[in-house]
Amino acid sequence: MVKYHPDTRFLTDYAAGSLPESQALCVAAHLHYCSGCRAKIRELTQLGAEFFLTQEPEAVSDDSFDRLWQNLQKQETSAARQTHPQQESATTPDTTKATKTTTNSPKSAQELPQAIEKLTRGNINSLKWRNIGKSFRFSNIPLGEQSRETTLFHIKAGGNVPKHHHGGDEITVVLKGSFSDQEDHYHVGDYIVRTSGESHTPVASQDEDCLCLASLDAPIVMNNWFYRVLAPFFNRPTAW
Amino acid sequence: MSAASHQNFGQKSKRVVNEATVKWSNLLLKVAEHDRAAFEQLFVKFSPLIKAFANKQAGADKGVNMSEELVQETMVKVWQKAPSFNPEKASASTWIFTIARNTRIDLLRKNARHFVNKATSIPGNDQQDDGFDVHDIWIENEDEDIFNQLVKQRNSEALHEAMKALPEEQSFILKKVYLEDKSHSEIAKELQMPLGTVKSRVRLALNKLSLSVDR
Ligand SMILES: [Zn+2]
Repeated sequence: MVKYHPDTRFLTDYAAGSLPESQALCVAAHLHYCSGCRAKIRELTQLGAEFFLTQEPEAVSDDSFDRLWQNLQKQETSAARQTHPQQESATTPDTTKATKTTTNSPKSAQELPQAIEKLTRGNINSLKWRNIGKSFRFSNIPLGEQSRETTLFHIKAGGNVPKHHHGGDEITVVLKGSFSDQEDHYHVGDYIVRTSGESHTPVASQDEDCLCLASLDAPIVMNNWFYRVLAPFFNRPTAW
Repeated sequence: MSAASHQNFGQKSKRVVNEATVKWSNLLLKVAEHDRAAFEQLFVKFSPLIKAFANKQAGADKGVNMSEELVQETMVKVWQKAPSFNPEKASASTWIFTIARNTRIDLLRKNARHFVNKATSIPGNDQQDDGFDVHDIWIENEDEDIFNQLVKQRNSEALHEAMKALPEEQSFILKKVYLEDKSHSEIAKELQMPLGTVKSRVRLALNKLSLSVDR
């Protein structure tokens, strides 16, 4: 049972479409596991549509519909000619990584949120991981956002995340397994927000590996050896 | 379970037939069957709203003008996706708003990515594109799960009346949230008020509209 949910701020900004992509990805991951919040999003989106309707209309250019119609005709003829249209942006340039390994097949297509499934192609080992110590590894998700880092991290059963604290906010969503920190025990779907200055050391449960998605606001403040390993990534926005 | 608790208002008003909602839904169903005249009627109604929506977004005043592009791209998707429209699950206006919202996000994302790619290439970071489509994150499909949860669509007119009754400072902020593409933190910065104040005004407004608030 999901216990920690995004608050109204995250849900309205998500429904309005203004939530930064990194955080929206976390909300989407939570929604995958939480039908209560999906219902809220549905309502909040309807409210957005009502505001949309109350706008003062602005005239479009006279030939707007004609251009649209021509465009559609063109697209339909080319689609008819080409039975298998190339999906734009569905594949990354690097096709070697896309080669499926047969050893770790996915249990179910719907196990992870849609975006994460797409990213991992059903196998989290297909990602590029960086190990820190024996039980912790992470893989950055490049979203093209300059002020935030988006990361998948994986803790082996019983292992922990190296102690850290940070200047900005951190959102974590549990995707697999569970972990604990000083405050509570967190399960799949939980959406946990840690604000600036808090320091914590998450520990995975003893019986299962834990996979989480995290969105971190820069600047990250780290003050031990861990910092030196992550600095090239976390300091990226200020480096140029 | 708590999701159903603030639905009492919505369930009763579901029975009220909303003529406009039915009209746009029927047109959209005809568009699904490639009816050009129906599509043109929808275009006449919605494209000036999409244009207004585009012009209000942050950055529109800074020379980033994408209003005609947003109209074109949104309406192309309306045409293409019309066969998946289900009037039982969403009203035509909510459905079109969702597509316009996602198309706006997509255009802004493309601009931003273009900018980032031009500005930097980071050694050791070979994946420049996550390969996500906007609908991987802003999910468009209504799922059966929600549909079965007694969460009925709110009556559009009733909601509209409630919106008109909102105190000015609350509707002012909700408009910023929904139309100006500004997040809570951006609004707080712009109005020079604490984030907590923005949050509580939004919460109060949603409360008055009998919409979801924090548990
Ligand atoms: Zn939830």
